[in-house]
Amino acid sequence: MSAVATRSIAERLSSAGTANALELRGVTKLFGALAALTDISLSVSPGERRAVLGSNGAGKTTLFNCITGDFLPTSGTIRLFGEDVTRFPAHERIRRGLRRTYQISQLFPGLSVLDNVYLACCGVSRSRFSFIRPRRDDALLATAEQLTEAVHLRDVRDIKVAVLSYGQQRQLEIALALAGAPRFVLFDEPAAGLSPTERRELVEILTNLPGHMGFIIIEHDMDVALRVAERVTMMHNGRIFKEGLPEEIEADPEVQALYLGGGHA
Amino acid sequence: MSAFASRHPIWSLIVFVAAAALLWAIFAAWPPGMVAWAGSKKIFLNAFFNGITLGGLYFLVASGFTLIFGLMRNVNLAHGSLYMLGGYVGYEVSALTGYWLLSFVAAFIVVGALGVLLQLFVFQRMEGQDLRQTLVTIGISIVLADLMLWIWGGNFYQILAPGWLSGPVKLPLVTAVKSNGEAVYLTYPVVRLAVFGAAVVLGVAVWLALNKTRIGMLIRAGVDDRDMLSATGVRIQRVFILVFAFGAGLAGVAGVVGGTFQSIAPGEDIRFLLASLVVVIVGGMGSIPGAALGALIIGLSEQLGSVYFPTYAVVLTFLIMVVVLAFRPQGLLASGRT
Amino acid sequence: MTAVSAKSPRLTATTQAPARPATGEIPGLYWVVGALLVLAPLFCSHFVLLQILGWAMILGMIALSLMFLAGYGGMVSLVQLTIAGIAGYLTAILGTSAVSGISLNWPWWLAVPVAMLVAVVFGTLVGALAVRTAGIYTIMITLAIAAAFFYFVQQNYAVFNGFTGFNNLIPPVFLGVDWHNPIAFYYLILSCAALAYLAVLYVARTPFGLALQGVRDNARRMAALGFSVTAHRIAAYSVASLIAAVAGVLLVWLNAQVSPGTVAVGPAIDILIIAVVGGIGHPIGAFIGALIYVILRTFALDALVAVGLSGERFQLLIGLGFLIIVFGSPDGLLGLWTKLQNRSQRGILPDREVSR
Repeated sequence: MSAVATRSIAERLSSAGTANALELRGVTKLFGALAALTDISLSVSPGERRAVLGSNGAGKTTLFNCITGDFLPTSGTIRLFGEDVTRFPAHERIRRGLRRTYQISQLFPGLSVLDNVYLACCGVSRSRFSFIRPRRDDALLATAEQLTEAVHLRDVRDIKVAVLSYGQQRQLEIALALAGAPRFVLFDEPAAGLSPTERRELVEILTNLPGHMGFIIIEHDMDVALRVAERVTMMHNGRIFKEGLPEEIEADPEVQALYLGGGHA
Repeated sequence: MSAFASRHPIWSLIVFVAAAALLWAIFAAWPPGMVAWAGSKKIFLNAFFNGITLGGLYFLVASGFTLIFGLMRNVNLAHGSLYMLGGYVGYEVSALTGYWLLSFVAAFIVVGALGVLLQLFVFQRMEGQDLRQTLVTIGISIVLADLMLWIWGGNFYQILAPGWLSGPVKLPLVTAVKSNGEAVYLTYPVVRLAVFGAAVVLGVAVWLALNKTRIGMLIRAGVDDRDMLSATGVRIQRVFILVFAFGAGLAGVAGVVGGTFQSIAPGEDIRFLLASLVVVIVGGMGSIPGAALGALIIGLSEQLGSVYFPTYAVVLTFLIMVVVLAFRPQGLLASGRT
Repeated sequence: MTAVSAKSPRLTATTQAPARPATGEIPGLYWVVGALLVLAPLFCSHFVLLQILGWAMILGMIALSLMFLAGYGGMVSLVQLTIAGIAGYLTAILGTSAVSGISLNWPWWLAVPVAMLVAVVFGTLVGALAVRTAGIYTIMITLAIAAAFFYFVQQNYAVFNGFTGFNNLIPPVFLGVDWHNPIAFYYLILSCAALAYLAVLYVARTPFGLALQGVRDNARRMAALGFSVTAHRIAAYSVASLIAAVAGVLLVWLNAQVSPGTVAVGPAIDILIIAVVGGIGHPIGAFIGALIYVILRTFALDALVAVGLSGERFQLLIGLGFLIIVFGSPDGLLGLWTKLQNRSQRGILPDREVSR
């Protein structure tokens, strides 16, 4: 932290404009003797949409946890819009425009749908410590209402999340990640467990995101992943194993042998 | 040990110097300047031994508490009541039969059986609801405290130690040197030393049982991951009952010990519950070596504190807890989990 | 930072209607209870006013501060009575009491705010320690702190006057009213309790209150939304401490004394019992629990003697009653009440988070 504090604000600002949205250099994560990630280097430019593919246990979710700050990497650096955030706590990274969704929904079951989204909007605003109730025309509340509508949850907005259906919870999960004008989002298997109709809706939501908003998506459903992503990174056993355009990856014989033809859904 | 020394050279040095100073204070005859500054060596040695033996008693109480907590995630706030019940049962048995050792067996069985009943009829029905279980233990402790007050009244009870354990023993530790060159040796109650020895033996036995036997491995696996334990087909309920009975039994035994070298009276339940809490917070929740270290630290700080700064002895104990919480919230000897 | 450029809500008038008309329809029962409490001096003896209603409202406030932490924040703190006790003790030490050797005789308008400030700082520090661990550990740590404070004041004679404590503590005269007068003091308690109750209801729906409930439900996700979970938890302790501190000052004025017995472990646990028996899901539970406790405390003695038991068996009664509630209805009496209500009609409580 001290290294961060001593860097001038001007330096931090100047580096932000031209830099990659996300840049990982030699990130390694060990759990005891087990290497979950080995020497991961990855650059994603602003506005880019990237898919990360790989079998279970390839280290994809661990990668997300390192980027968001749930885990500290054992070694390596993580830069967000040019700023070194390797040692930042999770909430500081979020305040710099990073968001994520979870493979298993992480919601607030005791609160209503709208309250969930409203909280997400408050998280990056200065009013998160406010002791004043929002007014009817409160800007954050209006944003929350729009978001709720955007993920097709308008009809259930006053219902407690605990009683939502699985599909609705997945949609709310996305709404929480899109709150507060994010610049970069990590989607962790957003399509898992969704019906074909819900998948189509999801692809529509993802492709319609504003152009400046880049994201990484972990997805087992090739159909979803290859349709929304501009580039694809393949992971295997905690290492990056291939990177390229979707059609290159699809055509790659090695990849086909390992995943696409390997009976993997 | 050498790994620790190479990673933390400064801490190792501090620990080494403190240990050397302590050993010197215990074994060497104090020069007059030291006596003028810190009082007579006899007072120090007495407080030191009182602290260590009190630590032994605290360990007996807290080890049961920490075992139950470690496996069941249940803060058993009735643990102090179990201690007190053990004391009363031990008193009755030894007064009735005259056999001091028999009172231990009786206290262990009676209090352990109460533990089995609690696990069977109360905690098993609230599986996985830690907060509710803890609330229930509050209710039980209130009820037990009042029932015991009803039966035994507000008097002090002391359990008499048998003849071969009563009286003082001369220890090979010099407290002072008379003007004619004759050394004065420390005399100390045998029963306290015996109790401390018993606590050490018991602690080692529990540690061995946990680390070297199959049932111990099961319990430790359960502490780390309860789901995994039940997934392997172990009948976890039986393990729970066993641990609860054993932990409660230990509290009962501790009650007899406490009744012998202090006394049993209303209010002792809260005192020993608090001691268990602080010991476990300082040492590390769910860890037997942690309970031993915590008990030693708290016992010593209480006794030395009450000799050298009487009104602030409680604050000293409390400060130790705060410092540990601030720098190592999981406790001194706990694994990384909190 | 591309954060939503919201108008800062702090600039908006507080009198505006809340976003959702949750308090729009206040049930009739509330008006009835409110009116009864306001009119109580007309038909209640001074004993009932202060020793039943007043005491219940003060204990209710302390239990309310626990409810705020436990119900909204998921942190069960046993240190709330201790915080109240610190405010009470400092009122005695800084202000006026019969122990002239210690009390500093500051005017009340200085002594009381400083006492409350110290109590809030203490509560915040306890919170900062307690939130370093999670869940069930909070109970252990706060209980240990409460007990340590009790033993400390019992042994410290220089500042806390040891076992005896302080007596002859009376409410001051201000705004031209002698607050020592039973009816005036009753209204003082009533307004403080009502204010605390409404404040908790209000805060529960503010961004801070919602965030606290979010932390309770899913701390990890809160961090992933940009909230500092630790800061919110500690701030919750500060808010709860303020409520407890007000109650603490009122408590020592009501009893005219403060001693180690005021902050002993037994009474500290009684606060938890009050909150749990009343129901930890809604602020009103704290006051319901407190009223039942005070009534039992006052009349159980006679009742027990009447059935041939010693009056000392009061604790047994409390313990058994508590066990029955914890076994039978985890949401306390309030939970039972809502269950009954749901069977016949809609919930009666305002702001109650019932699925609509």
